[in-house]
Amino acid sequence: MSRANKIVIGAVLLILVTIPHVTSDYIVYVVTLAMLFSMLTASYDLMPGFTGPLSFCPAAFYGLGAYSSALLTLNTGISFWLALPVSTIGVFLFAIVVGYPALKLRGHYFAVTTFFFGHFVYLVFLNSREITKGPLGLGGISPPDSILGIDFGSMTAMYYLILVFGIITVAFLFTLVHSGVGRLLISIRENEDLAQASGVNTAFFKVLAFSISSGLAGMTGSLFAHFFRLLHPTTFSWMTSEMIVIMFLVGGSGTIIGPIIGAGVVTFILELMRFAPELRFIIWSVLLIVILIIEPRGLAGMYYRIRRRV
Amino acid sequence: MDLFLLQIGNGLIVGSVYALVALGLNLIWSITDIPDFAQGSFYVLAAYTGYFAVTLLKMPYLVALLCGMSLGAVLAFLCERFLYRRWRERLFRDAARVQLLVAIALFFLFANIANALWTAKPRIFPSYMEGSLFNFSYIRINVLISAVILFILVYLFIMKTKPGKAIRAASMDPGMAQILGINIDTVNSVVFSLGGALSGAAAVLVAPLYSVFPSMGDLPLLKALVVVILGGFGSVAGVLICGLGLGLLEALGAMYVSSAYQHGYAFFILILVLLLKPKGLFGRV
Repeated sequence: MSRANKIVIGAVLLILVTIPHVTSDYIVYVVTLAMLFSMLTASYDLMPGFTGPLSFCPAAFYGLGAYSSALLTLNTGISFWLALPVSTIGVFLFAIVVGYPALKLRGHYFAVTTFFFGHFVYLVFLNSREITKGPLGLGGISPPDSILGIDFGSMTAMYYLILVFGIITVAFLFTLVHSGVGRLLISIRENEDLAQASGVNTAFFKVLAFSISSGLAGMTGSLFAHFFRLLHPTTFSWMTSEMIVIMFLVGGSGTIIGPIIGAGVVTFILELMRFAPELRFIIWSVLLIVILIIEPRGLAGMYYRIRRRV
Repeated sequence: MDLFLLQIGNGLIVGSVYALVALGLNLIWSITDIPDFAQGSFYVLAAYTGYFAVTLLKMPYLVALLCGMSLGAVLAFLCERFLYRRWRERLFRDAARVQLLVAIALFFLFANIANALWTAKPRIFPSYMEGSLFNFSYIRINVLISAVILFILVYLFIMKTKPGKAIRAASMDPGMAQILGINIDTVNSVVFSLGGALSGAAAVLVAPLYSVFPSMGDLPLLKALVVVILGGFGSVAGVLICGLGLGLLEALGAMYVSSAYQHGYAFFILILVLLLKPKGLFGRV
């Protein structure tokens, strides 16, 4: 990693660490959301950015992680610290089951199928009233049990917890992408047939990427459930999936830093425009189209383009 | 038995709407490899246009229908001409994906414009015909009949006319078609406009049945996508059969299995068909 990048990352981390001490609770809340979305987008990036197929259902796995973690802690009383890994692994396994047949489809077919899958999961959340309480919302989720004497009921504590998980996630993704496995995934993205002809087990790696991506989304969901403490099916609708795709696109595919930038930018813009709710999405769609026209590889693409000129 | 027949009728009527939107999508997708999500929002705007034509301008229904279709056609044409075309022949890797995402952004954009301008309050489209036959109002029957008529017209256009032949050639091999002298720009414009007109027609036909509201395009769009994939590319008849079929399956599923998951059945059917027949039921291209 270049020196410039390291400095930038260091600066960002420094800012993030000091935020709860210098700003209001509202900003802490917004930044926490931005971090959650960054995690979602970065893990989502593993699929279209590095492996190729564009999936439209990250929110479904996000929701599955959230609901399973919440339900585990509510109904069986186990601690969050156990529910988190359990739901993460559960979502990961489920994604393998779903991904295996779905990834036999190519390109747009896969995209549309995942679109539907996402909608279907949303319908399940909405209609399983006995389990998820559907549109009434699942509330009363408790914050994580205290460890090391930290009380996770406070927003600041959750902020730091999510920050830590965010760093772990990004570090994990970064290592993965720069490893041999990562290179294999990129080879699949570049030319799947050639990769297959060269002996890469494309089916295995595509499913693996999809599952890791979804498992991480599930983990993020679990964190969200215990942060927000109220779950509602609309949080996991295809609108949210769209948002993640758009954040990914705005930030730039094929990089780790791109999705994080995208998530941050979009979250802040959306919050800034709270005063004009109807106009929000309009401005945002226009912005997206403009960005696509100028630089199809998103903001990260712009950053690299500028860096090359300098 | 009566209820069963009623559901079949409902299914066919709803299915014909899916089929109309799907036909436009199918044509566009065959030629440009873009699943034009924006059609869902043209649908919404066309419905509002028809609504205002009838309520504010007091025009007869047929005129409102034509207005809706024209709006759909114009919007689709503009989007193709000034947006999709930019990435049409670019060689960089993500070109197709960019078009897809632009389509989604446009869908969002227009649907939210409708929301901002006219609020989410559903507008009741006034009824334009009285009377019914076998428990189906003439309006409902008209949806099915109009859809079939439009399908026949499009089929004749695509199969029996020279421009139609050019479109078919372009959908098989755009590069070769261009070499042979077919103007791809014109073909694209025509196909997009046609798609927009079909979505517009579907919207205005459906409007009197269910009222007009900004998110009315979401579900028909999703269903239409399924129909396109099921019906396979390059087949007009396939789209109609699959559209009607999907409508039927949904209606029967809602009655016999569960109506809460009504909109999820399409998903299962999709997966099933794709696993068994990856090119769709009638796929040719």
